[in-house]
Amino acid sequence: MVRSKAWLLRGFAVGVAFALTLAACGGGNAVSSQASGGASGAPKTGGTIYLLSLNQQWDQVDPQRIYTGEDLAFFGGTIQRSLTSYKYSADAKEGTSVTADLATDTGKPNATATEWSFTLRDGVTWQDGSPVTCEDVKYGVSRTFATDVINQGPTYQVAYLDIPSAKDGSSAYKGPYKKTGQDLYDKAVTCNGNTITFKLSKPVPDFNYTVTLGFSPVRKSDDTGESYGQPGHLVVSDGPYMVQSYSIGNGGKMVLVRNPKWNKASDPIRANYPDTWEVDFGIDPKVMDQRLIASAGKDNFAIQYGNIQPENLATIFTDPEHTTAQFTGRAVSGFDPYARYYWVNVNKVPDVNVRRAMWVALDRQAIRLNIGGAFAGNMADGVIKPNIGQDYASTGLLDGSLDWEAGTKVPDNGDPDLAKTLIAKSGKPAPTLTFNFANTPTNAKTAAIVKSSLEKAGFTIKVAPLEAGQYYSIVFDPKKSGEFGTAGWGADWPNASTVIPPLFTQKGGWDLSQLDDATLNQAVDAAQTDTDRADQSKKWQDLNKQVVENMWVLPTFFGLSQTLAGKKVGPIYRWPAYGSWPYGQMYTMP
Amino acid sequence: MAAYLVRRVVGMVVLLFLLSVTVFVLFNLLPGDPARLTCGKACTPQIIEANRHRLGLDQPVLTQYTNFVKGIFFGRTFSEDSPEPIICHAPCLGYSYNRHQQVLAAIADAAPVTFWLAVGAFLIWIVVGISMGILAALNRGSWVDRTIMGISLIGYSMPSFFIGLLLIFFVIIRFNWLPFPSYVSPFDNPIQFLQTMILPWIVLAVLNAAFYMRLTRNQVLEVFGDDYIRTARAKGLPERVVVVKHALRAGLTPIVTAAGLDLAYLLGGAIISENIFNLPGLGSLAVGSVLNSDLPLITGITLVTATIIIFANLVVDLLYAVIDPRVRVG
Amino acid sequence: MVAVPSSEVAGFQGEAQAQTSGRSLRQIVWARLSRDRLAMVCMVVLVLYYLIAIVGPVVAGVFGISPYTLHSELISDLGGKPFGALGGISWAHPLGVEWGTGRDISAQLMFGLRISLVIATSATLMTVALGTVIGIVAGYSGGWTDNLIGRLMDLVLAFPFLLIVLALSGVLTDRLTSLGIPEGNVSHIVYLILVMSVFGWPYLARIVRGQVLSLREREFVEAAVAMGANKRRILFTEILPNLWAPILVYATLTLPAYIGLEAVLSFLGVGVLPPDVTFGSMLASSVSYFQVVPTYLFIPGTVLVILVVSFNLLGDALRDALDPKAVH
Repeated sequence: MVRSKAWLLRGFAVGVAFALTLAACGGGNAVSSQASGGASGAPKTGGTIYLLSLNQQWDQVDPQRIYTGEDLAFFGGTIQRSLTSYKYSADAKEGTSVTADLATDTGKPNATATEWSFTLRDGVTWQDGSPVTCEDVKYGVSRTFATDVINQGPTYQVAYLDIPSAKDGSSAYKGPYKKTGQDLYDKAVTCNGNTITFKLSKPVPDFNYTVTLGFSPVRKSDDTGESYGQPGHLVVSDGPYMVQSYSIGNGGKMVLVRNPKWNKASDPIRANYPDTWEVDFGIDPKVMDQRLIASAGKDNFAIQYGNIQPENLATIFTDPEHTTAQFTGRAVSGFDPYARYYWVNVNKVPDVNVRRAMWVALDRQAIRLNIGGAFAGNMADGVIKPNIGQDYASTGLLDGSLDWEAGTKVPDNGDPDLAKTLIAKSGKPAPTLTFNFANTPTNAKTAAIVKSSLEKAGFTIKVAPLEAGQYYSIVFDPKKSGEFGTAGWGADWPNASTVIPPLFTQKGGWDLSQLDDATLNQAVDAAQTDTDRADQSKKWQDLNKQVVENMWVLPTFFGLSQTLAGKKVGPIYRWPAYGSWPYGQMYTMP
Repeated sequence: MAAYLVRRVVGMVVLLFLLSVTVFVLFNLLPGDPARLTCGKACTPQIIEANRHRLGLDQPVLTQYTNFVKGIFFGRTFSEDSPEPIICHAPCLGYSYNRHQQVLAAIADAAPVTFWLAVGAFLIWIVVGISMGILAALNRGSWVDRTIMGISLIGYSMPSFFIGLLLIFFVIIRFNWLPFPSYVSPFDNPIQFLQTMILPWIVLAVLNAAFYMRLTRNQVLEVFGDDYIRTARAKGLPERVVVVKHALRAGLTPIVTAAGLDLAYLLGGAIISENIFNLPGLGSLAVGSVLNSDLPLITGITLVTATIIIFANLVVDLLYAVIDPRVRVG
Repeated sequence: MVAVPSSEVAGFQGEAQAQTSGRSLRQIVWARLSRDRLAMVCMVVLVLYYLIAIVGPVVAGVFGISPYTLHSELISDLGGKPFGALGGISWAHPLGVEWGTGRDISAQLMFGLRISLVIATSATLMTVALGTVIGIVAGYSGGWTDNLIGRLMDLVLAFPFLLIVLALSGVLTDRLTSLGIPEGNVSHIVYLILVMSVFGWPYLARIVRGQVLSLREREFVEAAVAMGANKRRILFTEILPNLWAPILVYATLTLPAYIGLEAVLSFLGVGVLPPDVTFGSMLASSVSYFQVVPTYLFIPGTVLVILVVSFNLLGDALRDALDPKAVH
């Protein structure tokens, strides 16, 4: 999931590293979190943790509209509970496994995984003390169907629930505001006492993961629609904290205080050590780094929303695995949620040999160097990132073991000669290609590298920078976009069903390559509905291999990112679930 | 005078109308599709169309424009499907779905920052510019004069963003004389306010200060050459009185009037200062809205700043008209 | 935004001198200028700059220095910092290399200078042409034409110039391309030249209009009118020659302003396409690194400031040489 707002602020504010840090939905396991205990000091109950944000405001606060990994982690750990949540753990496997949250267990599927039931815990209340009911969950889930009000959030509700489609292909249910098709929704989602049952249109074996995203309760009487969660209409909490105040812009703050009605017995996940959370908005990234490095006064208790600027990386880390002595236990380096790639419009570049030649000619080493070298990530061999777990298997792309590579390992800095051979195979002269990228100083340098390395193979490359904030709204339109351009994608939960379908099918919603292939669609469908998890993994791995065989996208990097915290805050590790801080476990130290 | 006033005010309204139309049309040319931006990952064409409708972008530009103008006079309602629709009272400049905020509220949040920025810079450049200019004029041809003119030259030769970066580098990073800027209202924390604003003030003031030094110097020297100053001197008035009462008053009137205009332009042009120092003013808001394809916000800011400029123009012209009756004829 | 304040040039009576002297104005001005040592230094500096811009890239090509060549071997894989002090200054790369790519800074400066000068010089010429013609028309015809032009100026001046330029660069360069201007950097450069002149002309037009208004009342013009000379003849043979002094001064002061403006625009992301760079884009990327490598800020900044200062000094000297009322 890619959001551009945070990114462009980052991209524009001066003092910015202009790193490719698309806010997004996490998923996956951190490879190399510095989980080793953190700084000295035992967890203390009380105090305030400061979250320093370079953004002007939260992209979204509404539980049905939040879709950014770090934001899901923050709100999930403090004020918004969902049916299931991820366990807090630095361990790759443990940290991405779901556990019961609002529900008493992680859900009961029927035999075909087309019907899932969750029973709510007793004793869970809203911040005013009234109980969270099954109807509240049902109402919350229904909001996503109001696509023109509750937008930008996850839409698995719409995709998976057994509600027929209207003629134009959208859901026949138009959400709780218009109420069109309400009876259809009431049939698909039913409440029986404290038990909520979802009927799905096809088997979804990992629906218990799906419900971590946007399946949070909202009380109908609290819902104001578009403005819910914004200043003046603060979101109502069912977690250990509640929103005391929220203001936006530079100098804006969100303050969370303890929710007195929160019942520890009803919440096995969250530890709630600090008394207060304070989110400080609009902090220049350069300033943020300086403050955290100095770690004085209240910055001792501060953590970073965003990444360490490249110029400071060498001060804080000796390599992507280790911090310098001074920063031991204060900084984290690990996989971010994203696999980076360049999309290629397959209608404009129909010849597979040409697309292969593009990847072969690309100087990925120089590009990586430009975005931070070893700190920026590892070479990618597909769109499925290793931190997803069992669905990842090497495609062989980087070992030269694909058929078309003919046994030669393509060097990281590109092989113009092999590229020329491939172009010759296409039987046509090397085409002229336009490269789209979001206009930031770093991306401009990357574009220069793309241009020079592809031109060595005989291509003619035009570069077409687009406004950072508008990038994705332009490149999705083939009339306005070029032949290829930058992109990144993170899984929504540890299943490639949140990677392959969105990227390579038209209805998936992130098909920048404009792929629409009947055979492929069938294969994707088959994998998606496969209830045998091991078999499903095999299918995703094969599809991932098909991706690089056909070069529907050109894989570039599996991104790493680095974050920093003050001296007296812990625990310092990257929560694999969202590639974020483990908010629900965080504490200050005396 | 009344007729002149009426004519100018009518002219101003016409100008604003033309400007709003131009701005509206121009910004509708933007390549980004705001409807696509409001729709997250799983964007189907149907969702995009639903959002396009909600944003009102499915209507012809003319209708969008008339709705916009209606909103200014009668208010509008947004997100009518919400259980609690967004009611935007007149004068309504629109609603930014991007920020979940009414455009006027966003502008009102940002305006004080730009206001303080402009006022501070204005004071600096007026005081520094005029006093240095007078000093140079009184010491005409001496090393004082040459030094001041040299400073002035350097001042207006340095691009303001470069001055800003230099100040950040030396004052904040190298010598730690000031903390990193972080805007607060002067009423909440005057010290931090000053610490934050001093560098942006300087950056914004340098160019105009440099010009005003020269302008003042030239004006004063010119007035010295005028007959009535010679008369005053001949009458045997003390030099101090001649300088202060006669020369300065005559010489500075046009400068102060010009300053009014420059101040107005500055309100619209603080983009660079705000950008470099991360100040949440109108300039940052405007740039953010451009990058986000936030059409209502762009339109709103553009109109508000243009109105200020046009209004300042009017005031200055009226002042001239009061001072110099010939203007009315011309 | 792009204004040279009119006070700098207004009320300027360059032609008066010429009529009282036996020598031509050009000779007088040159004689005065050549006595001004500072102005001469500036002129030499500027000639050097233009020379570097014209032949520098060719020479660089001969020596095999290119602003486009990546030097991955000169930068660290841990973050992209160039090896060595001050951005990797060495014999081969006297001004260091770029963070992350290792491209040669001195070559980038040379190539960037050429682009900046092309843009600023052409934009100045165009501004002067537009401003002069419109100013003469307004001043000489008066009446509703004058009024209309006046309001047009108001409209242009009230426009949030920087915002418009930022917002519309993509769309308008595309439009230029569809009008047949070659895509790529050519259309980007043309776009910059156009916006600078389109938003820059009113300042000069005002000055020219004022001059024309006063000239119109002068005897020699009245004489020409009395003799029945046609309007065009009067405009171009009687009035225009008397305007060139303020126009020249305005131009010399506008050029450096445009160099600065181009830097501002490319700093904000509206500039030439990669792999080309100009002062502004170099300074924009310096922001991320100048805490560690300050030369990224100082080198392009200094080169830029020297250029602009020289132009301004020369412009001043020229005005003093032309203006009999010059106060010294």
